Amino acid sequence: MPSTNALPRIRDKVRDGEPLSLEDGVALFEHRNLLELGLLANEVRERLHGERTYFNRNLHINATNVCEASCRFCSFARLEEGKTGAYTMSHAEAWGKLQARLDAGDPITEIHIVNGLHPGLPFEYYTELLAGLKRLQASIHLKAFTAVEIFYFHKKYGLSIAEVITRLRAAGLDSIPGGGAEIFAARVRKKICDDKCTADEWLEVHRAAHGLGLRSNCTMLYGTIETVEERVDHMLRLRALQAETGGFQTFIPLAFHPDNNALMKLPGPTGVEDLRTYAVARLVLDNIPHLKAYWIMLGVKTAQAALWFGADDLDGTVQEEKIYHMAGAETPQAMSPGEIVRIIRNAGRTPVERDTLYNVVAEGEALASDKPFRRDVRRHALEVVP
Amino acid sequence: MSAGADATSTSTSSPAAPEAPAPPVEDLFALGRRAAAARDAALGRRGTFARSRRLLGSGAWRGPRDASVSYVEASDLPALGGWAAARAAGATVVVGADVAPLREASGDGARVVVRAVFRSGESEGARSGRLRALAACDAPPWGVIPTPEGEPYGLDTVRFTALCRLALPAGCHVLADVERLGPRLAQMCLGFGADELLAPIVGERALRLGDNANNPALTRKEAVTLIRGAGLVPAERLTGDLLEEIA
Repeated sequence: MPSTNALPRIRDKVRDGEPLSLEDGVALFEHRNLLELGLLANEVRERLHGERTYFNRNLHINATNVCEASCRFCSFARLEEGKTGAYTMSHAEAWGKLQARLDAGDPITEIHIVNGLHPGLPFEYYTELLAGLKRLQASIHLKAFTAVEIFYFHKKYGLSIAEVITRLRAAGLDSIPGGGAEIFAARVRKKICDDKCTADEWLEVHRAAHGLGLRSNCTMLYGTIETVEERVDHMLRLRALQAETGGFQTFIPLAFHPDNNALMKLPGPTGVEDLRTYAVARLVLDNIPHLKAYWIMLGVKTAQAALWFGADDLDGTVQEEKIYHMAGAETPQAMSPGEIVRIIRNAGRTPVERDTLYNVVAEGEALASDKPFRRDVRRHALEVVP
Repeated sequence: MSAGADATSTSTSSPAAPEAPAPPVEDLFALGRRAAAARDAALGRRGTFARSRRLLGSGAWRGPRDASVSYVEASDLPALGGWAAARAAGATVVVGADVAPLREASGDGARVVVRAVFRSGESEGARSGRLRALAACDAPPWGVIPTPEGEPYGLDTVRFTALCRLALPAGCHVLADVERLGPRLAQMCLGFGADELLAPIVGERALRLGDNANNPALTRKEAVTLIRGAGLVPAERLTGDLLEEIA
């Protein structure tokens, strides 16, 4: 079987720092022995990060689930305002989420904001949303609006992509989340998300953001109807943009959840498929520094195991995640920092609390318990994207 | 089968230590590969499942009539009037965490499956010690079910599964409990030395909606998919312990 014999050759390429090809990636997906694959991915993970495993303290705000797009894998969106389950937060409601965390003394460092494509809101709704959060806490990092949303703003409000980003940035935007990439293959997009921006448009938004000095993340939705070739193709297109801009910080494979959506007859990915996808991603995406095991989607148990199959980040404490819980995720909607630290230590790794840009917020003794972490520990500044 | 008197301490007796678990002793991949190799050598590269039914303490059965495995939980034996009554009702397998209550049944021809309990924070040496004691019984159990106390961590579970495979006699089965671990983690255990998926197997599964959203039952096809996805050859355990490989 060619894929079985390919591993030694691929291992040599990985150790020589040679980028893997589409054929290499497919061979890795088809390699039967998961532990051999994991061992190689772990070698790269430890070369990049040693035992260090990152997490942050964050809050999710999904300000509206009203969305013009009708993606078949989505359980979150409602097509119109007024439909059962549809909601749009007032600014006061959204700001109240942060205020509640501040009142509780929770030193969150990031707010992650992702919404539906609401056809009836003015652009100022979004800029004021950001500005109000910054007024409450000027130091909070606002990672907001997927490339799909930014492209929608560009079309709907008649602004260039650069102008959309510039105005959002002026209102408080600090970086862009990686959602909405789904799978780049046109065949799959036509079947599962025909009415959202194309792969090229998604990449164009991130290219523009990186050009304006913003960092961003990138994702891949796997486990619907895509082939392994299409997964590897997706990764290679991300790698190509990263070679051009250097602006991606983290790749986040997102496991499809088959509940409460139009694709609920699909089985969804299995645990071995999850780990295999993480391992291949670590090996193919050699120029993206971090690989995140998003515990909300994977489940805590699988996310912890992924820390030995290439992942070096568990995402954050997360508050009030809605998108994947409406798709049937059975994980809690939040974890305490102490719990995340325990999970990482139980995996034999070293926990490091980071901010969104991977500056170190706390590590070592400062993470010993559930008590609030010290904030005066050393910070590592990463190279800023030009 | 008999499981010796002092090998009974697989059940828990003290609360879990919440902090500072000992670091893993052996590299995860080396441990996993040793366990998988031991499974392959003893039982082949086969992953099995069985249609089972359970005798409840009330005397009623839960599960399909044509199940190939009929089992009773040891905790239900007192309500049923002991193993003899359970056997008379049709049970052939007894499952429990404490080995002592299983001895009567094992001496009377029952197949004994032990829930090997582990908890987060305990050392791997302590776990191995308990498993070695279990293995040293006059007649070790037919199988063990790695069973986490509380919410399981993923790596704890796969490592303990591998320890079970390596510490227990070659022919002993290691069962991954889908209901307890969830299908993702149970499937991972197949890569770390487990050889059987333990789950309610149903003919047809309803959509994951409403009360059925968290139903742990697997269809035969789902069980086959999980086993094949783990790189093993799926086989169904039929009545009389016959194994039917599924092409």
